[in-house]
Amino acid sequence: MRRSLATVTAVLAVLACAVAAAGGQQSDRWKAWPSSRMPGPTAAREVTFPPYEIRTLANGLRVIVVVHHEQPAVSMRMIIGAGAAQDPAGKAGLATLMASLLDQGTATRTSEEIADTIDFVGGALGTGAGTDLSYVNVLVLKDSFGLALDLMSDVVRRPAFAPEEIERQRQQVLSALQVNAQDPDYVAGVVIDRLIYGFHPYGIPSNGTPESVAALTREDLVGFHDRWFAPNNAILAIVGDLTPEEAFAGAEKTFGAWPRRDLPVTSFPDPPEPTRRVVLIDRPGAVQTEIRVGNLGIPRRHRDYDAFNLAVRVLGGEGANRLQRVLRSERSLTYGASADVQSLKQAGGIVAETDTRSEATGEALRIVMDEFSRLQRDPVSELELGDAKAYMTGSFPLTIETPDAIAMQVLNVLFYDLDVKTLQTYRERVNRITSDDIQRVARAYLRPGRLSIVLVGDAATVLPQLARAGVSDVERIPIDEVDLSSATLRRPRRAVAPEP
Amino acid sequence: MRALRRVPAVACLLLIASAALTRADATVRPPKFHYELRTLDNGLTVILCEDRSTPIVHSQLWYHVGSKDEREGRSGFAHLFEHMMFKGSKNLGLEEHTSLVASIGGRSNAYTTEDATVFWNTVPSHYLPMVLWMEADRMATLRVDEDRFKSEREVVKEERRMRVDNQPYGRLQEHIYAQAFRVHPYRTPTIGSMGDLEAATIGDVRDFYETYYVPGNATLVIVGDFDTASALDLVQKYFGPVPKAARPLARNIPREPPQTAERRVTLYEDWPLPVVVVAHHITYDGHPDSYPLHIAAKVLSDGQSSRIHRRLVYQDRLALAAFGQSNLIEHPNLFYTVAIVQPGQTPEAAARALISELDRIRNEPIADRELQRAKNQFARDYIIGRESIQQKAAHLAHAFVMHNGDVTTADGEFDIFQGITKEDVQRVARTYFTPESRLVLTILPRADAAPATRQPEGR
Repeated sequence: MRRSLATVTAVLAVLACAVAAAGGQQSDRWKAWPSSRMPGPTAAREVTFPPYEIRTLANGLRVIVVVHHEQPAVSMRMIIGAGAAQDPAGKAGLATLMASLLDQGTATRTSEEIADTIDFVGGALGTGAGTDLSYVNVLVLKDSFGLALDLMSDVVRRPAFAPEEIERQRQQVLSALQVNAQDPDYVAGVVIDRLIYGFHPYGIPSNGTPESVAALTREDLVGFHDRWFAPNNAILAIVGDLTPEEAFAGAEKTFGAWPRRDLPVTSFPDPPEPTRRVVLIDRPGAVQTEIRVGNLGIPRRHRDYDAFNLAVRVLGGEGANRLQRVLRSERSLTYGASADVQSLKQAGGIVAETDTRSEATGEALRIVMDEFSRLQRDPVSELELGDAKAYMTGSFPLTIETPDAIAMQVLNVLFYDLDVKTLQTYRERVNRITSDDIQRVARAYLRPGRLSIVLVGDAATVLPQLARAGVSDVERIPIDEVDLSSATLRRPRRAVAPEP
Repeated sequence: MRALRRVPAVACLLLIASAALTRADATVRPPKFHYELRTLDNGLTVILCEDRSTPIVHSQLWYHVGSKDEREGRSGFAHLFEHMMFKGSKNLGLEEHTSLVASIGGRSNAYTTEDATVFWNTVPSHYLPMVLWMEADRMATLRVDEDRFKSEREVVKEERRMRVDNQPYGRLQEHIYAQAFRVHPYRTPTIGSMGDLEAATIGDVRDFYETYYVPGNATLVIVGDFDTASALDLVQKYFGPVPKAARPLARNIPREPPQTAERRVTLYEDWPLPVVVVAHHITYDGHPDSYPLHIAAKVLSDGQSSRIHRRLVYQDRLALAAFGQSNLIEHPNLFYTVAIVQPGQTPEAAARALISELDRIRNEPIADRELQRAKNQFARDYIIGRESIQQKAAHLAHAFVMHNGDVTTADGEFDIFQGITKEDVQRVARTYFTPESRLVLTILPRADAAPATRQPEGR
């Protein structure tokens, strides 16, 4: 699953507006300063979603162009509609390893030649895999547009998967897994996904496990690439200081001859029904506990998405965020708390996250759980809903500032098979949502009695607090024994002392 | 920005003359900033730069105070104080600044570095008056309240636990600076130590505020969709009445004495893989030597074809990750290289490889192609680093605050970089990458420590 690495950075809202009278110890500076009211806005400028163009080549490749002439650069992103979710059973980590090899040698260039070529022109080339997609990004100054197209085509269509490069990247992935296995944020993230999605592909870590990565073969890599990398399974965005004609002509010249192919038909198992499960990953000596609480939600293309997204914002999103208000502003228990909708192609989830000092784990967890219940039980007030909607609609011009941000929104719409008209109607759609809608989707999709809960922290300190917080049936797993491929999440027990 | 001016190709002859291998068209270069600079009677500097492309506006208020201004025993205080600026002022309640900005769809936050504390807001442009009114209110009348101070201190402690104490490699930077510096406050981390945070008092808050949060120590940059004349009127209206400082600002920051002998230190941490750091003391941001040092950092560590990545990660497979950077800030700081050692490889081999790459920069000129690559990468950094109004404001503010009021460096450094020669790079490498100025820091997983040596060595 995608990990949102950025913990909440914003210092968020407290609605209290009353200003207490100035204390006696305040300075002369205070006394001399006038009391005043906040000035109102000046006249607002009309703002609409900026222009873009979409064309589809004969082979099915969809091309988005956003023109922007301020800075003399061109950025290109290609997404291919297959990622870690397409890893075959038992081959977790395949898409990730495959994508890491795309720029490590092609039919015509060695790994070192690719690096020399892109670095010399001051460009940047990145490849990778997400949950539902793989990507290749290239950024260049505008005079290197032709070179960028050529390089992108080479790494997308003709990766060599040379055995020596496979071993090099495999070692990188395995070492990264070794580091990640000790990172509480990473561990909390992969375990909560596994609880929410079970053995649906979204529950399997996209980087794989040491065992699965060690077993991947060159045939696996070539096979994945052959099956999924096709123009009719890809979208290309070209953004920056060029004309639409130059952009489309470049795309046609470079990718026009890429043959279309039939894509495999895949079926996904349904994610499991939410079941209450509490997993405590023991990291002895940890000064803080990583907390994740969530349940299954809805996929991105779903009629309730807008209302559900707004409901989750009220719980823990930018511009609203009850969790941040209670956990940080009122109780000083954390630096950041948030809740996010994970809305992907096949399924989705809702996950709240925070971290707190070990001694406060029970209290913080209780608050998070109670906020899930409250959102379902009590209607959101018009004032609170109005603020959340005002943030979402008001921030619209901030979301279209850079050409890349514009292109990403168009890419998302195409990738999730949404109507491009939704880009223009964003504010109207948000404004239509009512408090009743929020309560309806909260009742439909939140399962406060069946939450998946993951805690990564010092078990000796945390366990007694959980009992006091009314959280029972805790599965305690030492961090060194976590095994995501096992139903128990735990490697077979070695001969050690029994659990308390 | 309006009316972007393209610089004619002739201006780049300088560049072409300096490199045998040159791109056919080195004319791709960033547009220049167009800005107005004013100083109010109370000493506040104001820089305005119109960019009407999207109806949003960004304000960035720099106070020239950072963690290097903290006194002994108060590490972390500048950052803790930054948090206090959100706790209310005469006309704004607790956290109201943040909630008001959010309620109009804007974003606001702040950050603290070693040298400066920066408060920023991005809002739909018709709310510029509100943002200026709020920033002026807390500059003039911060609410200093014991309960709010104590509760916010707990939030900052959680921030330290999250960013530093509870993360593998979270303390890496602290270790580097604690070992490299003896006297200068750069030796302590901006986030501070738990003990020092706990020791801070409400009196410290008041004192810090009266000393540093004064108009003469502040620079306000506004970039975005506004009319300069009207925006200046607004700035005058809201910030003009903020009184001058009651007392002069005296800075007594101790200088770091030169390091005269190589330091080698081994520490232990509960981290999965060993880390090796090779660091050298260097100069400050804006010093003539700083530009070739930036070029050296690019040759060593920008992209997969850079020397450190190619040698340690790709060819010799010594490191999971390896990089180097020149931390050029207001006072002399460090050039440091880092390798996270692959299982099966030794920290000694990784350290030798890092040292040999630094030696190579010193002992032989870099290739023409490497120099040109670094310059092209610079052009890219300049260009993509100026896409958003927040980035633009940061460049203007940084130039003014860190380069002694010379805001022209925001554009001017482009030509300085393009004029750097191979000889410049080798000269600065010889000046700074000396064995006497070197720190070699090895941090091993605690499990590897022999029982008798589990206590950290060194300081």
